[in-house]
Amino acid sequence: MTDMTTDTLPDDAGDETALHGGAEERKLGFWLTLPAQLLVLFIALFPILMQVYISLTDWSPLDGIPWYQAYELWIGLLNYVDLANDPRFWSAMWRTCIVMAICVPVQFFLGLGLAILFVDDFRGKRVLYSTILVPMMVVPAVAGYMFFMLFQSGGPVNDILSFFAGRPVTIAWLSDPDLALFATIVSDIWQWTPLMFLILLAGMVSVPQDQQMAAVLLGASWTRRFFTIVLPRMKTIIIIAIAIRVIENFKVFDNFYIMTGGGPGVATETISIYIYKVTQQELIWGYVAAIALAILITLSVVSALAIKKLRGAQQ
Amino acid sequence: MQNLGKDFGAFTALAEMDLTIGSGEFVALLGPSGCGKSTTMNMIAGMLDPSHGEIRFDGRNMNGVPMAKRGVGFVFQNYAIFTHMTVRDNLAYGLKSQGVGRAETNRRVGEIAELLQLTPMLDRKAAGLSVNILQRLAIGRSAVVEPAIFLLDEPLSNVDAAFRAVMRAELKSLQRQFKQTMVYVTHDQLEAMTMADRIAVMDHGKLLQVGTPLEVYNHPADTFVARFIGAPGMNLLKGRITGADTGLVADLGAAGHCPVRTGQGGDVLFGFRPEQVHPDANGPLQMIVTTVERIGARTILHLAAGDMTAKAVLDSETPVPDQGQPFRFALDADDVRLFDAETERAL
Amino acid sequence: MQRSLSFEIFRYAAIFGFLALSLIPTIWMFSMAFKPIAEWQASGADLTWWPKNPTLDNFRFIFGESGSDLIVALERTAGRPILASLLSATFGTLIAMAAGTAAAYGLSRFGAGGNLPLALIQLRIFPPMAVMIPVMIMWAFLGLIDTWYGLALIYGIVTMPFSFWLMKTFFDDLPREIEDAALVEGCSRWRVFLKITLPMMRPALASSALFVFILNWSDYLIALLLTTRDWVTIPVYMASLSSSMTGQLYGAKAALGLIAAVPPVIMGIAIQKQLVRGLTFGALKE
Repeated sequence: MTDMTTDTLPDDAGDETALHGGAEERKLGFWLTLPAQLLVLFIALFPILMQVYISLTDWSPLDGIPWYQAYELWIGLLNYVDLANDPRFWSAMWRTCIVMAICVPVQFFLGLGLAILFVDDFRGKRVLYSTILVPMMVVPAVAGYMFFMLFQSGGPVNDILSFFAGRPVTIAWLSDPDLALFATIVSDIWQWTPLMFLILLAGMVSVPQDQQMAAVLLGASWTRRFFTIVLPRMKTIIIIAIAIRVIENFKVFDNFYIMTGGGPGVATETISIYIYKVTQQELIWGYVAAIALAILITLSVVSALAIKKLRGAQQ
Repeated sequence: MQNLGKDFGAFTALAEMDLTIGSGEFVALLGPSGCGKSTTMNMIAGMLDPSHGEIRFDGRNMNGVPMAKRGVGFVFQNYAIFTHMTVRDNLAYGLKSQGVGRAETNRRVGEIAELLQLTPMLDRKAAGLSVNILQRLAIGRSAVVEPAIFLLDEPLSNVDAAFRAVMRAELKSLQRQFKQTMVYVTHDQLEAMTMADRIAVMDHGKLLQVGTPLEVYNHPADTFVARFIGAPGMNLLKGRITGADTGLVADLGAAGHCPVRTGQGGDVLFGFRPEQVHPDANGPLQMIVTTVERIGARTILHLAAGDMTAKAVLDSETPVPDQGQPFRFALDADDVRLFDAETERAL
Repeated sequence: MQRSLSFEIFRYAAIFGFLALSLIPTIWMFSMAFKPIAEWQASGADLTWWPKNPTLDNFRFIFGESGSDLIVALERTAGRPILASLLSATFGTLIAMAAGTAAAYGLSRFGAGGNLPLALIQLRIFPPMAVMIPVMIMWAFLGLIDTWYGLALIYGIVTMPFSFWLMKTFFDDLPREIEDAALVEGCSRWRVFLKITLPMMRPALASSALFVFILNWSDYLIALLLTTRDWVTIPVYMASLSSSMTGQLYGAKAALGLIAAVPPVIMGIAIQKQLVRGLTFGALKE
């Protein structure tokens, strides 16, 4: 059913050019890739140069001068100095990491557990499989509104808790700093556990059956087979699944912002919400550019290293 | 280990089947794909439950015994080596799974590695090893836990044709070394003929014949076995047995008449091996050559007479008629096999 | 492999237990969407889990018919935001598919654009928030703020990594022999691509396009930054469904949420088999 390709990571180009090197083909290849190249340049190179420039100024769209004249407000590296000393930035960073550190493992283990339950055939598998996938296909913003309703103090979550507690429960989930973070994390786990499940199941199904059979015939218990054959064989897929969720979790915005607006106070302010607020509410775009660049550079380095390492591990 | 008796059957995949395999015997389950041989094998291993009948190891009923507890060694089609582990870890896997102590495990792994000449590569990753080493490793991995019986599922089907002869020889010598009971599933009659002590020929979920390679070759129980064993298979011509003055004669229509030893009057299928055709200008049989196939040491003649076709395998030195020319030949009466035209069973 | 009865029981118990929790939010939204005002305003002990008097009032309300008990009338109905979402997501998908497919073919067949795979993965890794300042400035300069086409353009770029990677894995799987045969018969490369390759890739194109559409349709942040009034999309518009008199219009939000949630769920289930491929950038194919 599934087939795990070894060329998981980009390593193309070079050798293939040599194989199909006609002049006509090179020309066609060039024209075919041109639009994509231009769009990448349009969204990457130009904006990044612009961002570098603005980040060295104190420019704001309210200043009344166009961005290209921002040099009038030149402040050098001051934005970066501010950034290093901005407690709100660092706390947003820290919070994002905490969210990641809770969401990703919970999603992973739930997804893995479900994948184990779905790996062999049983009655109703297809329907149940599709049903489990539903949350990840709900628009995240809509999920945010859904959880906003669920966690109202007179809402259904408290209703269920009241049922079990046997007395009315009126927890103000979204206005207590700790509980609000908990509620947003729940919404993230709800939405993205199916994704982990989907990927991990596909990886688990691709573990060769005969190797598992061989292990069983050699007397391996279920757990031994799982830990010595299944999991090691899924290594690449596990890394990919976790990487995807770490990346997406780092960007998390929609459901958090809709549920709490980053509040109460800054209790659920993730890095994206923080940047959004500085952009929209405080409007100091020179500073935003500095934050954005710092993040871009960090992510580029980290992701390049990770991809290199992953590719190395595969060979 | 004394006798492995099994008589079982699974709905369509396998009808009633009785087979006893002696200790230390190398038995090949031979048949075309879909004949039920893999089903049989999987039931011995416990991957499938028989729908009726039972499998006994040494008289002990194995039905319901989980595969891990059967003591069955299994060599998979592509060997199912744990490529993410070292050769040593592969060999030790079974012992560790069964909770054998470290010292004992090391000793037995060392022994088996020595026996299979795997010692130099014990600490190599199993990925990327050559196929004959993989085969030895697969056998060693199962052998180290001393299974009661070894099952091999077409292990040579992914091997290059050129290399198969080497692998066959190696496998056979390993089996002798271990004095291990082995059941070998294959669709390749050559593999079965060259390696097995006994061959069980199967088709459509039925066991058709069990016997030594020579028995199966020389005395096929029915026309399926006759055609399936040998390359090319046995020729079968429609004929009629009639009594003549000198004895019984098979009337083969356009091909002529041929004396036979036994048989009552009536319709038969007249079988003879292509290798047993003797060119003879005065021979009793004559067919037209349709194709001459020269394959080095031997020449294969494709023959036809009326709506019947046959093949003859001759020494390449033997002069042969051209295409379209008649070819006269004789057969030893001892080499002729007769089959009932209705039941296709040997007479 | 045989499984014991107790495992089967455990399996169903665990799956249904998980589903019971995981379906609550969806079911709740569904139920809210069909509740009359009295029911969706209820809280605490008065909460009803299933509408006692199911009604389509909420749907009528967001489309401007205020025949219900709601005193407020909407300043802006949901029609326009739905149109905005549809237009921007559809055209964004077209842009992403056109550029992504062409580039994927160029790379897969001619080895052109060897920098693209990594560049596009990196593009995907960056939080959109971190490039939005220049984008907002550029979009303002180009007059693209608060237009559906401006939104479509950025959607097209943001989701191109997915269309590119999906189509690349599909092209890689496509045997070259078929195309080579046409080439031998004297068709030009370009003609082969248009007349032979693309028609053969129709199922792949369809599932990739649906996948990309879901992503575009699901956006919130970009629309929040690049639209202000005329072309706000559904999720952005949903925030405005509250009034000073009645507070949050839960019923209306649920109704619109349902409208927004149903298409991607159906599409997602339709392309289930390709989801893994899309989400893992083709690392896992099903």
